[in-house]
Amino acid sequence: MKSFTAKSFIRLVLLVFAPMHLAYADGVVVDKVYHPYVLPNETEVEWRLLSHRTSKSNSLGQRFAYGHSLSETIIAEFYVVAERDDTDDFGLQAYEIEIRQMLTEQGQYWADWGMLYEVEKQHDRDNWEVATGVLFEKEFGRTSLTMNLFGIYEWGQDLDNEFETEFRLKYRYRWIPAFQPAIEFYTGQDFTGAGPAFMGIHRFSGQKQLKWEAAFISALNTHSKDHTFRVAIEYEF
Amino acid sequence: MDKYQKGIFLLLTLCWSCASWAKRPEYKLELKDHLFYPAEIEIPAGRKVKLVIHNHDSTPEEFDSFDLNREKVIFPKKKAVIFVGPLPPGRYGFFGEYNPNTAKGTVVVTDKPDAETGDRDAN
Repeated sequence: MKSFTAKSFIRLVLLVFAPMHLAYADGVVVDKVYHPYVLPNETEVEWRLLSHRTSKSNSLGQRFAYGHSLSETIIAEFYVVAERDDTDDFGLQAYEIEIRQMLTEQGQYWADWGMLYEVEKQHDRDNWEVATGVLFEKEFGRTSLTMNLFGIYEWGQDLDNEFETEFRLKYRYRWIPAFQPAIEFYTGQDFTGAGPAFMGIHRFSGQKQLKWEAAFISALNTHSKDHTFRVAIEYEF
Repeated sequence: MDKYQKGIFLLLTLCWSCASWAKRPEYKLELKDHLFYPAEIEIPAGRKVKLVIHNHDSTPEEFDSFDLNREKVIFPKKKAVIFVGPLPPGRYGFFGEYNPNTAKGTVVVTDKPDAETGDRDAN
């Protein structure tokens, strides 16, 4: 591994902390931290669960997704989002289309870059959200730093027209394929949180593989209870 | 520094960057009958190198390596480029995801000076 110089450290600190001043989203920002990589011939199905518990509420969200790569550098995913609302009813909440684009070849430059584009519409309401994200990943020996910075615009019948930003970070140690511990950090306008995360991969024959990840994120900006547990399972074939 | 000097500085930086890319050692691998040739390839420690893999088979293959943290699809009868490193000395395994029992190989990262020479043929 190339020596980790003071210059590299300064660059890294600037990259990590500069977006934090920009992040001011007001929704729940804990979700997947996206990698900037795309493989051609890839089809995937995904399930995500988010359980957000505070001293006053316990909301639950699930996402079901189907994705397919459209080219060597672009993958599209379609999501159906289900949530448990304040009255404990669990039902269909929203639809979402997501495009992820790999901008640079992995390892070619100092860091790897990608972009994410999302459009979401609520199921029974005329509420919309569009998002654009910059995806970043840099390897340091057996560890990888992944960062996402999103710009989000939302509008609709129950929403004020509003621009928000979110920042997500994951620092992962690639220990063994089946178990890779990490630290995750999230920030938005009303939320800053961090916590341990774990991910792993199990290979079947050919391109078939199962990826899993889980994280337990605690809010850092409040003294009251505010925890989020997230799980994601992805089957690629 | 006026705008012309800035422009020249930018151009020189760009040329230097291009020259750096051009100097990046290149190593060639071949994939024939679901086997990598050579199965073991030596690259220099502490340098980023370019692996060019030519798939001679009529089916796609996916270069996969947890050690190198790389996954790359190589289409039939096509070449794919994988950038590796800089890495410390050691042995880094890789395999073809479609034929994991046959298509196996190792990147050996070494301090030996003869590993510095790029543009090597596979055979």
